[in-house]
Amino acid sequence: NIQWLGNRIDAALVSRHKELQREVCDLTEAEEQLDELISKCNLQLRMLTEDPQNKKLGYVRCQDLRQSFDSPDQLVMVIRAPPETQMQVSEPSEGYQVSLKSTRGPIDVFLCPDDSSGVC
Amino acid sequence: IGLPTNSAQECQNLEVERQRRLERIKQKQSQLQELILQQIAFKNLVQRNRQSEQQANRPPPPNSIIHLPFIIVNTSKKTVIDCSISNDKFEYLFNFDSMFEIHDDIEVLKRMGMACGLEVGKCSQEDLKVARSLVPKALEPYVIEMAKGPISNVYITGGSSAN
Repeated sequence: NIQWLGNRIDAALVSRHKELQREVCDLTEAEEQLDELISKCNLQLRMLTEDPQNKKLGYVRCQDLRQSFDSPDQLVMVIRAPPETQMQVSEPSEGYQVSLKSTRGPIDVFLCPDDSSGVC
Repeated sequence: IGLPTNSAQECQNLEVERQRRLERIKQKQSQLQELILQQIAFKNLVQRNRQSEQQANRPPPPNSIIHLPFIIVNTSKKTVIDCSISNDKFEYLFNFDSMFEIHDDIEVLKRMGMACGLEVGKCSQEDLKVARSLVPKALEPYVIEMAKGPISNVYITGGSSAN
């Protein structure tokens, strides 16, 4: 009897083992597929945003900004900085502080006015 | 087939491995989704601007637009902001006396509806059609999945080897 029971547990374990092996195998494949898609997507995005024609057309209007932060009591500040600019935000417990540090060129900061002139 | 104890141990190892991979896949899926959103939002923006420039027959005045990439910092108008700037404008230091928010340009594009509502899984049939037309074929299953709502579980797209 004991012998028989042991065999049954064995069999269950073996089939569970097989099942898990198959699942891990499927997941490995799924992850590889994802990795490939992510790197393709990254490349596509880079080509898309670096295309000169797209660069020219890649803008928002000041009115878009105002509508996106549509509360009348909000001050909206726009920061345009060169690549690799570092932005540091302090711990809230140490006050509300933001520092910007660029190495490649000047940083532009301006306010988005809330009048209807459509001009920033 | 080894001894039962070995098998049990191995099953446990495999279980751990399975969980680890599931976690990684989940994380990579949201990374891919974000990239897809960015792609769709950027293409939509460019299309919109191209159309309105054609309609107006001229580009908008330079002082009425902001080119990507940019970052938004918003806070209450009551907030006092103390700002120091280096002479060459390479360094800035802001002190706020109240809370503020930081958003990237993609967040602005999402708020403008450029991501077709996919970012929150609220997507009309028309939106979905537009979104699908803006991505390569291999990414369409993901777009369809995103349109259904926020994804909580790992899903695996079947047989989408086409490019």
